[in-house]
Formats: sequence, structure tokens, C-alpha cells
Amino acid sequence: MTPAISVTGLLKRYGDRNVVDGLDLEVQQGEVLAFLGRNGAGKTTTTEILEGYRERDGGEVLVLGQDPATAGADWRAKLGIVLQESRPLGALTVRETLRLYAAYFPHPRGVDEVIALVGLEEQANQRAGRLSGGQQRRLDVGVALIGNPELVFLDEPTTGFDPDARRQFWDVISGLRDLGTTVFLTTHYMDEAQVLADRVAVMRDGKVAALGTPAELQALRGDVEIRFVLPTGLALDALPQLSKPTLLTGGEVRVETTAPTADLAALCTWAEGRGLELEGLTVERPTLEDVFLAIAGDHAEVDA
Amino acid sequence: MNMLREQVRADLLAFSRRPETLFFTVFLPVIFLVLFEAIFGGQTVTLASGDVVAQSFLQVPAFMVMGVISASFVALAITVVNRRETGTYKRVRGTPAPAWVLIAGQVVTSLVIALLMVLVMLALGSFAYGVRVELDHLPWLIAVVLIGAIAFSCLGMMLAALTPSTEAAPPLANVVVLPLYFISGVFVPIESLPTWLGNIAEWLPVAPFVKVATWAYVPATTTPWNSLGLLIAWGLVGLLIASWRFRWTPRRG
Repeated sequence: MTPAISVTGLLKRYGDRNVVDGLDLEVQQGEVLAFLGRNGAGKTTTTEILEGYRERDGGEVLVLGQDPATAGADWRAKLGIVLQESRPLGALTVRETLRLYAAYFPHPRGVDEVIALVGLEEQANQRAGRLSGGQQRRLDVGVALIGNPELVFLDEPTTGFDPDARRQFWDVISGLRDLGTTVFLTTHYMDEAQVLADRVAVMRDGKVAALGTPAELQALRGDVEIRFVLPTGLALDALPQLSKPTLLTGGEVRVETTAPTADLAALCTWAEGRGLELEGLTVERPTLEDVFLAIAGDHAEVDA
Repeated sequence: MNMLREQVRADLLAFSRRPETLFFTVFLPVIFLVLFEAIFGGQTVTLASGDVVAQSFLQVPAFMVMGVISASFVALAITVVNRRETGTYKRVRGTPAPAWVLIAGQVVTSLVIALLMVLVMLALGSFAYGVRVELDHLPWLIAVVLIGAIAFSCLGMMLAALTPSTEAAPPLANVVVLPLYFISGVFVPIESLPTWLGNIAEWLPVAPFVKVATWAYVPATTTPWNSLGLLIAWGLVGLLIASWRFRWTPRRG
């Protein structure tokens, strides 16, 4: 099966800065890929090159077997695009908007089918301008689905949503996966990626810095963290032999370990022998969020 | 063709639901006509040909032109800039829809509104003010209005291409047309302007449009081929500059 998206050595320059700097990526058909990175990492630039909106300065790009830079209307008929910033015409109703966009495509889905897909049955005859933010975004997705696309691009679709709206939106995307649609989801929410994505690609400095299933990424930092407050009056070297203890501000000790059972046993035996109660004792696996922060880099960059 | 039909349908729907454009495009010229008729309606004017006609014979086509320009130039420019800056066009360019459908949709929409304005003005003129257009002149009137509406649509596209933001579009469009209405024979006859001002106005796009519309309305004037040619030339200028500077994506980013 040919991949839905295949990118090799993608390059994009703004001035003397390589915003995209040798990016390689493959997305399989039917896959939901979450594309993560901090603001300014080059996500939107990459996405817009894949969508055919921007030209690239180097590298090979095939989207549904064609080069986006030269592909025509027949290629765009197989795509659904939700831009980071776009609003439907406020004066048209949900149904009228979908009917208009359906006319642009050769083999559109039924308007009512799409309304049901994005859960806007009750708002079908409301003007788009009077929908809530979350509902407008779902209409956006509806517009992207009306052409019956093989591949859907979603660029930060849930930014600014309240938790309820996000959950409803996630249901819509899960529905897409069930239809066999390939989804390229740009986001900076880790939990979104964890819930929705088959695989996660993390972009940093114009390249894919990590790629894998959420579980694989989590395993990249396999260390378990043991934390507790150092009993008063004791120094770090008073502790028993532990894997990798660090003293944090506030007297807290963090132990990064690949052998949590042994470390915990040593620690607890030591404390019990001295009649000490270890305050704030926790054992935690790193979350995907922690992994993301480690890979994407902690510094916030200027939005490009 | 189905695509174009749906586009025009949606554009007309959207137009009819925006009270502010509806007011400025459709009602304002009507209000002006009613006021001017109330003030000057009883007077007569002597044409260059020597014929004496009621003032209404000049006022009805003049405000008809105003309505057509509102629909094709002002409303079109504002709509196009708005759709560009809100990303609507960018989004549609990501579908298989060809660019001409968007432009044709917008132009056909303003033609429909322009023809509607002609109907309203014709009805007002003949029933309220007793100025009937001769039946054999009606095709000319419609042809002239369509040519003018297309020319001003091209100029509207040009204005849209040169307008930087949604906020700037309405004031910019009105700053362009309002003085032109004053010096081009819509509010006052060109003959009553200082000569130098009249001479400038004659070369700008509104005056020739008023002239050809008046000619189509008033039987006893000579055919103003020069004005018709000048109007078409302005349309071509608009088309050239529009296609040179036009873009589908927002200015920011």
C-alpha cells in the first residue's frame, strides 16, 4: 500500500532561516497522525506545503501520490482541509454552507450525512455566525468532509475550546478514523494526540525529532520518577544507595530510575529502620506531556 | 455550471442577509432619488439638443447609476476583501473549485443586484415621477447598465486588490465614490461645475456611465459613443490592475 503522505528532506527557507530543515515523514493510509511541536517549530509551514498552499525550497513531497506543488483539481477533490484560521461565511446557515461546498466537489457526501457526522443536527438551519466557537469549528470540519476526502488535514482544530467542546470534537475525529479516512492532525495538545493518534510525530527545529505510537514515545523516557521530601536535618548523602537522586528546591528529592522496585525497597527499609515517615512519597511514570516537553524543547519560541 | 449557480445563490443569500450592505446598496440610492425629486422634481432643464425635459428625466437615471455602482463597485469590493481576509477564499482555493467560479459568482451577483436596482428605479420613475423609458429604448438601457456594472465590477476587483484590510474597505470604497457622485452629474449637473472640475470629471469613470444611462433614458439625445468607450476603457484598466495585484490569501501571514 502506498503511503498517503511521503516527505523526504523537505526544506523551506524564510530569509536565511530554515524553518523546515530536512524533514522526513511518512503517513500510512487510514492512519491518524498527530503532528506536534511548539509554536514556531514549523508545523503550519509544513502542513501548508503538504496542502499545496506554499512552495517548498527543496526535498521530495508526495501527497496521495502527487506533488502538491503541481497537482490540480482532481487531487484537491481527494483532500479535506481545516485551516488554522478560517471562518465559514457567517450569513449562511450550516446547511447552506455545506450545500455550497458540496457543489465544488465531483463526488460529494450528502449534506445531511455530514451534518450528522459533525453532530450539528440541531444547528442545521442556524447561521454560521451565530454558532459557538466549537460548533463553528465542527462546521469547518464538515466543510472539509463534504467532498468525501481520502485525506483530511486539521491544523490546530481545538485551540480555544472548552473541555466539553474538545471532547465532542474528539468524537468527530474518532468517527473519521472509523470511516478509514487518513487524518493529519496538527496540535500542541498532548492529551489530544494521546486520545486520537495512531502515531505521533514531534517536530523540533524544522525536523521530526521523534516519531512513534504514543506508547513508544512514552517508552523513550522509560525512567520512573520517585519523589519524596528529604527528612529535616539530613543531607542527600545520608540516603541509602539509590539510582540517580537529585535534590530539588524545597527539599524535595527526585530519583530517576529504571529499577523502581529495588530503589523503593532500599529507600523504605532505610526510612523504616530510622522510624522516618517519608513525606510526599510518590512513584510516577512520565506522561506523554513530559516526553513532549523533553523532545520539543522547553523554551517557547516566537510564532512564525 | 452547477457550481456557478450554487455560488451565485449563496452569494445572493449572503448579500441579502447583511442589513448594512442592503441599506447602502439598495435603499440609499432610492432615498436620494425620493429626496431629490421632492426638492427639484417640478423643475425642467434644457438639453444641449434644445429639448426641454423634466428634471426627473435626468435624476432617475443618475440615481440608477448610483445604485448600480453601489452594487458592483462598493459592495463587491467590501465583500471580496472580507472573504480574503477571513480566509474564506484561501479555504475555497483548497477545494477543486476553479478561481473563475469565485470571481464570476461575485460579478454575476452584482449584476443581478444591479438589474434589481434598475427595476426599482424604473418602477419609481414611471409610477411616482411620470418619467417612462420608451419601450424600444429598454434593451439599450439594460445593455448600458450591464456594461457599466461589468466595468465597475472590474474596478471593484481592483479596489479590493489594493485594499489592505477588512476595516479599510468600506471607508475606502465610499471615499472614492462619494466625491465622484458630486462631480459626475449624479447630485448636480456637470454643467454647473467650474469648467476645470467638469473637465476632470469627464475623464473619470462615473460621468461617462451617467451620460450613457441618461442617453438610454432620454430619447432625444445623440448617442454618446465616446462615453461608452471611456467606460469600457476604465473597466479594462480595473481588470488589468486587479489581475496584476489580486491575491486569495489574507495580507497578514
